Amino acid sequence: MTEPFFQVDGLNTWFFTRQGVIKSVRDISFDLRRGEVLGIVGESGSGKSVTGMSIMGQIDEPGRIVSGSISLDGQELTALTFEEMRRYRGRKIAMVFQNPLMTLNPLMRVRDQMYEAISEHEDVSHREMHDRCIEVLKAVGIPSPEERLNAYPHEMSGGMRQRVVIATALLLGPDMIIADEPTTALDVTIQAQIIYHIRRQIDERGLGMIWITHDLSTLSELADRIMVMYAGATMEIGTTEDIIGSSRHPYTRKLLDSVPSRNTPGEKLRQIPGNMPSLLSLEKGCPFASRCERATEICSEPVPATQLSATHRIWCYHPFEG
Amino acid sequence: MSRVSLNDFARRFAESRTAVISLMISLVFVACALFAPLMSPTNPYDLTQLQLTDALKPAGSKRMLPGEEVRANIRIEAGTASVEPALAAQTRQSITAESCGASCLSIGVQPEGTKLASLQIRNLPAGAAVEGGKKHIVQPWWTVDNPEGSKVRIVSNSPLPENFTVLAIAKSLDQETDFVFRLGTDGFGRDMLSAILYGIRISVFVGLVAAGAAMVLGTSFGLLAAWRGGVTDAVIMRAVDFMLGLPALLVGLAILAILGNGVSKVVLAIVIVQWSYYARTARSFAISELGKEYVEAARCLRLSPTRIMLRHVLPNCMPQIIVLFTLNIAAAISLESSLSFLGVGLPLTRPSLGMLIASGYEFIFSHKYWISIYPGVVLLVMIVAMNLLGDRLRDLNNPRLDR
Amino acid sequence: MNEMIFEAKDLSRSFTVGRSALRNLANRFLGERTPTVLRAVDNVSLTLREGETLGVVGESGCGKSTLARMIAGILPVSSGERHFRGEPYDSLLARKRDALKIQMVFQDPLSSLNPRLRVGEIVGEAAVLHGLVPRSRVKDYVVDILARVGLPADSISRYPHQFSGGQRQRVGIARSLAVKPDMLICDEAVAALDVSVQAQIINLLMDIKRESGLAMIFISHDLGVIRHLCDRVAVMYLGRVVELAETEQLFATPTHPYTRMLLDGMPKISLERRKFMPIQGEIPSPLNPPSGCHFHPRCPIATEHCRRTRPELREIASGHVHACLNVEAL
Repeated sequence: MTEPFFQVDGLNTWFFTRQGVIKSVRDISFDLRRGEVLGIVGESGSGKSVTGMSIMGQIDEPGRIVSGSISLDGQELTALTFEEMRRYRGRKIAMVFQNPLMTLNPLMRVRDQMYEAISEHEDVSHREMHDRCIEVLKAVGIPSPEERLNAYPHEMSGGMRQRVVIATALLLGPDMIIADEPTTALDVTIQAQIIYHIRRQIDERGLGMIWITHDLSTLSELADRIMVMYAGATMEIGTTEDIIGSSRHPYTRKLLDSVPSRNTPGEKLRQIPGNMPSLLSLEKGCPFASRCERATEICSEPVPATQLSATHRIWCYHPFEG
Repeated sequence: MSRVSLNDFARRFAESRTAVISLMISLVFVACALFAPLMSPTNPYDLTQLQLTDALKPAGSKRMLPGEEVRANIRIEAGTASVEPALAAQTRQSITAESCGASCLSIGVQPEGTKLASLQIRNLPAGAAVEGGKKHIVQPWWTVDNPEGSKVRIVSNSPLPENFTVLAIAKSLDQETDFVFRLGTDGFGRDMLSAILYGIRISVFVGLVAAGAAMVLGTSFGLLAAWRGGVTDAVIMRAVDFMLGLPALLVGLAILAILGNGVSKVVLAIVIVQWSYYARTARSFAISELGKEYVEAARCLRLSPTRIMLRHVLPNCMPQIIVLFTLNIAAAISLESSLSFLGVGLPLTRPSLGMLIASGYEFIFSHKYWISIYPGVVLLVMIVAMNLLGDRLRDLNNPRLDR
Repeated sequence: MNEMIFEAKDLSRSFTVGRSALRNLANRFLGERTPTVLRAVDNVSLTLREGETLGVVGESGCGKSTLARMIAGILPVSSGERHFRGEPYDSLLARKRDALKIQMVFQDPLSSLNPRLRVGEIVGEAAVLHGLVPRSRVKDYVVDILARVGLPADSISRYPHQFSGGQRQRVGIARSLAVKPDMLICDEAVAALDVSVQAQIINLLMDIKRESGLAMIFISHDLGVIRHLCDRVAVMYLGRVVELAETEQLFATPTHPYTRMLLDGMPKISLERRKFMPIQGEIPSPLNPPSGCHFHPRCPIATEHCRRTRPELREIASGHVHACLNVEAL
């Protein structure tokens, strides 16, 4: 196994609002190797998107990275200025959002947008830009890429737009891609196609990818490793087999169990009672304790990480037996 | 709106200092409008109080009481003097007489301290004279110019007769009073401060009523267009396009030229000019609200279209309409002032700010700047404050500008 | 078998795109063809029995939401008939109180609630207006219904934005239940919710169904949810129903190639990696649907016949119909 090239260590991203401090991300640590897809899964408010934005240096007021380090190939990203970060972005790290229209300019042809992305960072001929665009469009499975280059975003379907965004992300040969719910808005048949092409590109180009989603089923098909987040904290991290096949954390298990396809049709789903606690009123203990059947008094104490195997780590006082 | 979001709204509003100051200024103007009769030192509508002697006085000058002529017959009977005013006219001053010995009669003027230009005593008995006075060449009339202490004494070497009557005519000087014209006076001798306060009252009243009526009318048309669509929509919106294409001032001028001037007619003219803005805004926001699922839900609950429009759609369009209302009050005030300035708005007897500016315009080249400048500055501050207020409200309503 | 509660025959809804006087004039002189007609729903026939749950599944643009609104009686039909308990919709919708028997739960838990009304009014408004409950007793009535959907009594004086997504959807369900419906149409009612919240809402809907014997039409793109909730399932593609069967049968032996493709593409939580290339092709624009069978450009078994002939729904087993010209031949 190769060494990790990207590391996040003890990341804390907080938002200082009038109502109080929202600790959206608390003590998150993980790493990423080349050719690997790390899935971050969680419900809304779990801090998964804020983690992605923190890596991209896109945390706006009143939020800020309170502590922790984010390093790519030994370069500390939290120390970069805004301008340095902007240069770094696109070259080294690309981001794909849920809504492709957030990235695509509706008034520009696909060709011009992709050319602009290249010329921003490199000085190359039109011929070469053109060839590179065709190459990445083909790579994400876009049929007749020549035609697509001349199209405007509104002339394409949602699935096609998202592919163009992913192709643009690949354009500068980045080291890693962060994708935030990239296929959530798409239909299942289109989603399957995109996942297929992305997996191939990751393997061929040796990229690292962070795939942020609420959908465990997509991750089970795509990810090499999965990190489960809840209310801003990591619950469990491990290989896909560790998480999907032999999860030990009560929250992960409950989450898996509440998916309809893992229940008997017509019977009541095994739901998780209650709601996620407010991020304003978090105690030092396990945030899931109030909804957890296995919780005892000790769960109100800070939860240390337990290394279950070389790949599998868990934050829980009362894990299920392996 | 709930209390939580209202608090939040107020807090976000307060983030802009300009907006807070504008709000305060606007509130001051509204207070001026409400309490003008209590705050203003004179009533500029009371034409009887006007004195042409006060006209065109600069700021800080005092009101003058014009000199007047008082006549009284002074009858002496058995050594006692009695005064009977010769003219029934109302005067501020009155003549007094008192005996100061057997051969002496003192005639003065009430109140004390009135400065007299002259005091003339006619028909003196033979042998009597007025101290310091000059006798008429022919008539037995004695005149004292600028009598000291406003008093004269009739003296005689011999005792005065038991019964006689003299006519006293007192001419007083123009007299300074304690009343100060803080902002000067206009060409009719009106106190500018009072006129401005009453002008604010009229302008704010016209602005509020006109913009309010235009809001009700325009919003109704806008909602109707959004709900009915099709031909109704097309007809209403073409009318709106037509109105928006015409310059507001021109339309106002034309309407007032036909109807003549007066407060209600100015209001009508402004409503005709402004309803189209509300119709356009209400229609576009109502259409976007009509596309939301809560409207479909209301339809599924088989609520009547009127109820859906008024109870569900309208309240969700109100924030935008209120923003427009704030901006349009300022526009209405400035339109009313423009019309009044051009002489077709409000009557001369009830001057609005625009009228005041216009009435000072003829004096501005003779350095009587205050008649136009003061109401002009007030109008400027009022309109700028209301526009800034409206801008801030609009920004708060636009989620794109919200961080 | 239960009585029929709802019947739709050949429902269609078409929109004319870009129709304007100017365009018509231009078309006349330039000899262009007639304006484009968008057929959002194209000859759909469905039945629903008392107490039954019918699922409608399909991808975006397949017309399932338009169909839901036509069934709910809030969108008119271009052609076709709708009957509720044997009565045509035209006369049913004229009697507002009876039309309340058909209710709908919407997708977006926030935009489906009027942000300026308190929950008490959102839930109680229609019941009072239609005389189901006197104004004096509406508060208790609403509190009862909120309790049924698992919301505390103090929700009554709160506004929609003060709730979480799942709670908002509960308010939406309470609003429908407040007018005592017999048929509930759920349009992607759990699509916008988190997995754990989605499970709570699905369980709630199942409880309500069991308690009150509501007939339900459940519209979703999520096959897992459909499979869990529904007795029968209709699969739609570009405005048409392509297959309809009992849930078990459909998932065990799907016959139409599109249904198979959907089931293959359905994300599953499993450790088996998909090694094959997924079926290619985009969903065509409903503005310009392919000729004949709409699915033929993406279909692995399409023939020349499919390009020309529009397939009709045919029964291939008891209660199992599909619209494919070719499956039997293979």
